[in-house]
Amino acid sequence: MAHNRVMQWAVLARTWWIYDANQQCPFRSAYRLTTYLQGLHKPVYHRHGDVGDHVVVFNTRHIAMRGEFWRTYKHFHHTRFAGGFSRASAYRVHEEDPTRILERACHNRLSGLDNKRTLMKRLHLFPDEEIPEEILENVTGQIQQVQAIPKKLEDYSQREIDSFPRLFKMPEDYDIESYKRENRLEPDQHTSKAWRLK
Amino acid sequence: MSNNAIPRDFLKNVLQNGMGRYVCQLQRITFRFCKSHPGSRHMRDFIENHMLDFTQKNPGVVVYLQPRRHRPPSIVAEFLNGRREMMEMIDKEPEEICKWTEHMRGRSGVQIVNMIRNNHTETPSTQGIWHPFMFRDSETALTKFPNPQLSAVKQTGKTATDYLLEEVEKK
Repeated sequence: MAHNRVMQWAVLARTWWIYDANQQCPFRSAYRLTTYLQGLHKPVYHRHGDVGDHVVVFNTRHIAMRGEFWRTYKHFHHTRFAGGFSRASAYRVHEEDPTRILERACHNRLSGLDNKRTLMKRLHLFPDEEIPEEILENVTGQIQQVQAIPKKLEDYSQREIDSFPRLFKMPEDYDIESYKRENRLEPDQHTSKAWRLK
Repeated sequence: MSNNAIPRDFLKNVLQNGMGRYVCQLQRITFRFCKSHPGSRHMRDFIENHMLDFTQKNPGVVVYLQPRRHRPPSIVAEFLNGRREMMEMIDKEPEEICKWTEHMRGRSGVQIVNMIRNNHTETPSTQGIWHPFMFRDSETALTKFPNPQLSAVKQTGKTATDYLLEEVEKK
């Protein structure tokens, strides 16, 4: 066939995907994003073939972690000098760099691969809605989110909250106003001193 | 001999041989020898003692004897696909000549080559090669990304909250 060569260009074309990380678990997102980075979603996938795609992620500032993970999930680092070990809770890392948690989650997901650095260069992370136009114009597909976005309490009007059916009566001393108060919990004791909140 | 003198090709075979019945691909075998020269001693021994066993077992194979004066012994096999294989039988004892005769009888007649790859097809996909935009909705060409509809999780069924609110509305 005369156009075999052109067909091959189409097969190996590197496509760009976009992903909205708003209210998404970074670890489950990494599981899905690395599939696209490696090209595992393609029928022509081979581990020796360079068939991975680009993935653009935005809203990484608004990722959601389950349970107490913001406080208990740690990022470790060692400078290889004596006493160079440090660790920081996820919320602290997130304050420093809002793309860091998702980037490390994908990085860890790709552990053991020789082409990990190459694949990570094709992951473009943006903390907010703003994406450069020269990147956005390449995008030809959207990756589905891993979990449904829940409706927050702030999104309900006071009338909706009052009219919501009550299945049981709360005890008199039950604290239901706690979300309105400032968080007075002690700062995380397991975070290295340099990283602790002042 | 250098390696590139041996032909390189993909795996070939006489297909469908044995689907109805097995057809022996060896059609004719010629034993060439000299009647007097000591070089053909083993070949003459083979013809006297073993050749008739071979002809009786394989009535479908034509056997020729070709005496040639003062020439080295050899066998020539001709196959159903038209190919002709010649093999020298110098210094080969009768048992070994029996073995090479059996070898020729069992062959498909296809030339022995170095295999380029283990897998190959003569008929590539008739559906066409896959490409990233195959099976994709053509609407995506006009979609402006990011698109909330494509991003959201496809939900089926009702949540417990939905069910509860419905039950309350009924009353």
